[in-house]
Parts: sequence; C-alpha cells; structure tokens
Amino acid sequence: MEAVGRKPTIWETLTNEKNFKWTLVAPLLIILVIFALYPLIYSFYFSFHDWGMQGAPIMTGLKNFRQLVFDQTFLSAVGRTFKAMVICISVELLLGLGIALLWNRDFPGQNIVRGLALLPLMVAPLILSLLWYFLLDYNFGAVNQVLEAIGLSKVYWWSPNMALYTICFITIWQWFPFSTFVLLAGLKSLPKDVFEAARVDGASGWYTFRRLTLPMLTPLIMIIVVLRAMWLIRLMDPLFGTTRGGVNTELLDWIVYRTSFVMFDIGYGSAMAVFSWALTMILCMLMFRQLMKALAANR
Amino acid sequence: MIRKILFWAATILILLFITLPLAWIYLTAFKSNADIFDPSLRKFVIFTPTLDNFRSLFADYPFWKNFLNTIIISVGSTILTMVISLPAAYSFARWNTGGGDLLYFTISTRMFPPAVAAIPHFMVFKTVGLIDTHLGLIILNTFFNVSFATFLLYGYFNDIPAELEQAAMVDGYNRTEVFRKIVFPLIKPGLAVTAMFCLIWSWNEFFFAFLFSRNIAKPVNVLLSQFWGGLQVQYGLMTAGAAITILPTLIMVWFMQRYIIRGLTFGAVKG
Repeated sequence: MEAVGRKPTIWETLTNEKNFKWTLVAPLLIILVIFALYPLIYSFYFSFHDWGMQGAPIMTGLKNFRQLVFDQTFLSAVGRTFKAMVICISVELLLGLGIALLWNRDFPGQNIVRGLALLPLMVAPLILSLLWYFLLDYNFGAVNQVLEAIGLSKVYWWSPNMALYTICFITIWQWFPFSTFVLLAGLKSLPKDVFEAARVDGASGWYTFRRLTLPMLTPLIMIIVVLRAMWLIRLMDPLFGTTRGGVNTELLDWIVYRTSFVMFDIGYGSAMAVFSWALTMILCMLMFRQLMKALAANR
Repeated sequence: MIRKILFWAATILILLFITLPLAWIYLTAFKSNADIFDPSLRKFVIFTPTLDNFRSLFADYPFWKNFLNTIIISVGSTILTMVISLPAAYSFARWNTGGGDLLYFTISTRMFPPAVAAIPHFMVFKTVGLIDTHLGLIILNTFFNVSFATFLLYGYFNDIPAELEQAAMVDGYNRTEVFRKIVFPLIKPGLAVTAMFCLIWSWNEFFFAFLFSRNIAKPVNVLLSQFWGGLQVQYGLMTAGAAITILPTLIMVWFMQRYIIRGLTFGAVKG
C-alpha cells in the first residue's frame, strides 16, 4: 500500500486485472523457493563432495552414493521406517474403523467423548515421548507396575527387540483418534436409504458392511493412508524423548540428523538427505494423485 | 440393555486408554520424588501433593523465559503465516493461479524432509546471524506452516460461491471492497481455525528449535528435552513443565474439536 503515493505506476502494474493474482501468491512463492529449493540445491551439491564443515569441500563424484547403497546401518534405518509405517497405518486403521463403528450412533455425551478422544492428537510429540518413556520404564514405569500387580511379568519396553514396536505403540496411541474420527465422519455421511433397502432385502450385517460400508469408505481410508504415510516417513520427534536412535530404533530422518549434526559428515549426510528426499517425492507423487482423487470425491 | 452396557464399557475403556497417560502428567507433577519412585499402586493417586517440582522448575531453570520464547515464536510465526497465506489462498481459489501445479508445489514443500533442510539452513542462518534469535525461529516456523495454511484456507475460500463476489462487483464494489466487505467476513471462521493450527504446530515444533537455539531464543520444548537422561530422568521437573506447556494446546483442542479433522485432512473431511 505504501507504494501508492510514491510510485503509482508499479502499484498499478501489480494490481491490474492480469497481474493481481500473481501479486497475491508472490510472497508465498518467494518464501517457498528460498526455504525449499535452496536447501535442495545445496544438499545436491554437497552430496557429491566430502566435507566435514572445515576447510574446502573435496569433489568426490558419486562416492557418497556408492557408499550409501552398501551401508547396512543406513539401509536398516530405511527398512525400519517402512516397517513402522506399515505397522502404524494398519493398526490405526483397524482400531479407527472398529471404534468408528462403535460410535456411529447418537448417544448422550458424544461431544465430550469426542473432545476427550482428540486431546492427545495435537500435543507435542516430544512431550508425549518423554511421558511414555517414563510410563514404560522397566523399574518405575506405571505400566510395568500395573502388569506386576495383576500377576503378569514386567516387559522390557526399551530392549533392542522391543523398542521399535514401543515407538510404534506411542505413535499409534497418539494418532488412532485421527482415523477414528475421519471414518466416523464418513459413516455419518453415508446415505441412509441404501442401507434401509439392504435391510429390507434381508442382507446380513457382515454382508452390508463388506459390500456397502467398506466400498463407500474407501476414499476416506485412502486419505488416511496417504496422509499418515506422509507424516510417518518423517517420524523423528518421538525418538528424542526416548531412545535417541539407540536400541535398533534409528529411523530415516534420525540417521540423516546424526550423520550431519553429530558426526559432522556433511557430504555423506547430504547424500542421505537427497536419497530421503527422492524417496519421499516418489512416495508423494504416487500418493498425491490418490489424495487429490479422494479429496475431489469428498468435496 | 446388555448392548448398552457393552457400549459404555467399551467407550469408557477407550477414553481411559487415551486420557490416563495425560492425567499421569498432572498427577506426577504434584508428587515428591519419594512418591514418584514408590512402586506400590496405592501411590498412583493417594499421595501428599507438593509444589516442590514447580518451585524448583521456576527457581532453578529459566522456565518462564523459555515459555515466553515459545509464545513469541508461535504467535509471531502465526501472524506472518496468515499474512502470506491468506492472499495466496484467495488467488488460488478465485483464479486457479498456476493451474493446479503451483498448488501441488506448495503442498509438496510440506513433505520436504526437515533433516535435509536443516544443514543448509543452519549454514545460512550462521552466516546472517539468525541462529538463536526469535526472528530466525519465527521465519522457520512460518516456512513450515505456510503451505498447510494456504491449502486449508484454499478449501475455505472454495466454499464461498464466486457468484457472491460477481454480484458485488456488479453492484459497483471494487476488488478491495469485495474482499473486505464480502469475502473477509465469510472467511473469518476458517481463518481462525487455520491460525489455531499454525499456533499449535509452532508451539509443538521441536527439531529445528533444538538445532537452532542456544539460550536467548530457547523454547520450552527444548528445555523439557534436557530433563531426559540415559540414567536419570528428572520426572518431577519434566512433568511439571509438561503440565504447563501442554495446557494451552489441550484447551485449544477442546474448543476446536469440531474443526480438527477437517484441518488435518486439508479440508477433505468435514468432521
């Protein structure tokens, strides 16, 4: 606005019918280009170099990437990330579907139930991980104390065989209300007359569920899978309050962080980062289409 | 009748599963160390409440200073995000600017691995002196939130029929007036929801705050993470701090429960 008095011509060019829409998106595009494209170019550049934050970077060609392909630590981190993704998404979907079917009715206090169930969803994952590290502590954790009191044996939640599943459990605990309420919204919007007709025709409950409910919920299930996959491939915060990448829980982003910021191997870290970026982009391109279709179906 | 009992039994079980861990934060915050490490179940709820954890947190640690930092960073970045996203979303919704490709680019930056961006950002921030400043973290959080905010607002703008604006134009309103008098009042609820999301997300952001702050701009999450230790975790201090830090989030979530699912699904599901 301040440009009006001094340079009316520029202001006019910016706000005429043809340019106005571009003027409105310009600030957004500028911040996105600076903060998203620049780091990418930077990471690409250093992924072909050896650099430990000191002296001049040494050009090494594809060496970092060749090392990456045979790096067992890195490959298992990638594998673990996908494992966690599959576990979390499937458990969240099943739990969500079950609870959504349970709550798909009008009952007194349903708003209170919803409010309570959504509470953990937006709490900082870091704080929740600190909390669960405490609750699942072998000696002092409340969960093990309860297990012992009811005659079961204590569980080593943070043992190398168990820790990744425990991380998944924390994530599922925080996120299953999400799929629950997405699916519940879907169930509530289903056309009543179709189900009425099925009932009149004598279709069994299971048959109606498989042939009517489930197909109609598919776009929503798709949305849940896509969004959760996008968030879970970046799973990192829960590690900060718990294992810090130890006991077989190192995930994709954690190893990138550790290589760059703990070992200061910027070249190798950048190669991992580029790999992680490419993986995400492939996943997103595959899924974004589905997401857009599902979004369109639901608008 | 039996169905009803089963329904309520299941519902209460689910709610306990969700809320008990959160309640544990508030219980532990008021326990003395002796009670925290007492293995008898009785001590879960029956103990002499004490404010020692809070006293120590306020006296020995810069808790309020860091809490204030969190407020400054999240409020600052939310305002900046809105200033950038609102016009962009309007442009995308009204003129389909960039024909969908730009919108895809916008949302794809949200999937950008933060660990990738951390190295270059760190180098640049070091050069221009933005490490450990409020402004630096405000800018970073704005970048994290703009694409989401734009997409969500885009959905809300799409809900406003274009005919409404055309009718106003016919009535002799100019573009600015149309936006101020017609569109803005209609978008206000959507704007409030979007702002809440941005506020919560920057409130919760940890990784970049952890890397980019030392002292001056340290947010409260980073302070809480420092109570973690391989051998000895200061549970009392940690829960006392967490109890205060998550309270605003819990209150906001309670009041925006109707809009959370819509927000998290980028407007696709109108919970």
